[in-house]
Amino acid sequence: MSDWITLTARAVDAPIALDDLDPARLAELSAADIGAVPVFAGRQRAALGDFFDVSGERSTRVRIEGSTSLLDGVGAGMSGGELDVTGDTGAMTGAGMSGGTLRVHGSVGDDAGVGLSGGVLRIDGNAGDRLGAAAPGAAKGMSGGDIIVGGAAGDEAGARMRRGLLVISGSVGRDAGRAMIAGSLIVLGSCGDGAGRASKRGSIVVCGAVAVPPTYRYACTYHPPHVRLTFRYLMRRYNFAFENAVIDSVFKRYCGDGDDPGKGELLVAAPDEPPVAQSIVKGT
Amino acid sequence: MEIRGVIIEDTFAEAFGMRGARLIITAKNERWTREAALKLTGFATSVIACKCEAAIERELPGDETPDGRPGVSVLFFTMDSDSLGKRLIERIGQTVLTCPTTACFDGLPDLPDRLPAGKALRTFGDRFQGSKVIGGQRYWRVPVMEGEFLLSETFGMQKKGIGGGNFLILGESADAVLEAAEAAVAAIEGTPNVILPFPGGIVRSGSKVGASYTGMIASTNDAYCPTLRPLTTTALPEGVNSVLEIVLDGLDFDSISTAMRAGITAACRPGVRAISAGNYGGKLGPHHFHLRKVMDGA
Repeated sequence: MSDWITLTARAVDAPIALDDLDPARLAELSAADIGAVPVFAGRQRAALGDFFDVSGERSTRVRIEGSTSLLDGVGAGMSGGELDVTGDTGAMTGAGMSGGTLRVHGSVGDDAGVGLSGGVLRIDGNAGDRLGAAAPGAAKGMSGGDIIVGGAAGDEAGARMRRGLLVISGSVGRDAGRAMIAGSLIVLGSCGDGAGRASKRGSIVVCGAVAVPPTYRYACTYHPPHVRLTFRYLMRRYNFAFENAVIDSVFKRYCGDGDDPGKGELLVAAPDEPPVAQSIVKGT
Repeated sequence: MEIRGVIIEDTFAEAFGMRGARLIITAKNERWTREAALKLTGFATSVIACKCEAAIERELPGDETPDGRPGVSVLFFTMDSDSLGKRLIERIGQTVLTCPTTACFDGLPDLPDRLPAGKALRTFGDRFQGSKVIGGQRYWRVPVMEGEFLLSETFGMQKKGIGGGNFLILGESADAVLEAAEAAVAAIEGTPNVILPFPGGIVRSGSKVGASYTGMIASTNDAYCPTLRPLTTTALPEGVNSVLEIVLDGLDFDSISTAMRAGITAACRPGVRAISAGNYGGKLGPHHFHLRKVMDGA
């Protein structure tokens, strides 16, 4: 048994789908068995060992070195264990995760964390579109767990999310939290147009600029206690460093979208407060 | 056994199993944490008449509380699980929910036995309430006129809590005994997992089980009343003119032992003749704190 299983990428020049690489299932596998884990190279079936050097065995802690954006589905369907990725990854990173910790020391492509129901997906760099959103054809986006992004994210972050915590340290594109059902989407930067459009419940917390949809109604300016609690949680769990001005910031609460049921909320850091987004140091 | 000339009697404190919970109350500043905690733990000295025993365990700096604000840790004890849940709902609802700027968190999140006090109190929000799951714990946001009240959905219950740990300070004068008791309380305060539920941590009216009146479950402990020395079977040594009791509740046996050791050590000072303890012959309470064994653990 090894402490870590290390997969070192050899020359990867075409997309490879790693959908079956669940660290929780590697606890009983030898290095040879791990090398035989099926992957798809384009439309062709292949084996993990065809593209990676495998060292270590019988562990639920897996390290991928030399990853590129051509590796799709990294950590998809992960149910436990630990997956640590050096470099970028492609689409569907951590899609459908139900447990464990997946950390990417780089940026990820579209559809990262779609349908995630548990575990932790940490992305040090940027994320593409539909982060934590619903998988194609699914009614719900992420339904549990934490997704923490150190950089920015694309369009439709948290679309249809049902539960869980989605934190983006930078800015996000349009339609963040679109049709959100519940959960918390925290954007420490700014949001593009359409944030919270058609949401039913859930919280979208924005520390930077956001265009509040006209179908949202202003409620009050106050200290939302759950935001403070969430910030403290991010500090303890993910080593975020917030200045006191951020922790103590007041937020404008807008209720929407519309009236049916209209229990969603946009919490926007008050503009007369210190520029919170700029005073945040990302988690490490 | 003697400590600085004070006799440690060869007897034991008899204590009972209780159910315990820890609440973390936070607020904007220390003033409001204290206001909430004092109201929360008011009239909670003894289960005999108050239905629960509760007190402040210690004050917490912001870096020890879930939301980073100043806080107070409070311990609650009752005789059974059902009662503990009811007391939490009543008291949080009437004292913490009503207090400006407060939030209320579970202080025993790792215990498997849960009391759904927050789940019950959420209904004050009249369907406008909402919940958040943060770090695997569910919290309820109850809208109130000030803004929002945030509280944990469930609170951990310690089934192996102990109530009624005690020791008696027997001294030459009321002043000397009070000074010794104050010193004992000061030494005990801050001991983790332990509270002193009586006023200032001190009891002047220790009780015995039963009474000559029918229907009374407790009455004055005449054996330790100096004014009754010639009228009853006294337990007071010569020269003792006043007695005060320190009562301790705790989440576990060892914590109470540690606190008793600290308190007794501090109470052994000039004017104190002996340290004793209250018991019922060992037939009622399963937890026995033998004073000399407690002190030998020092």
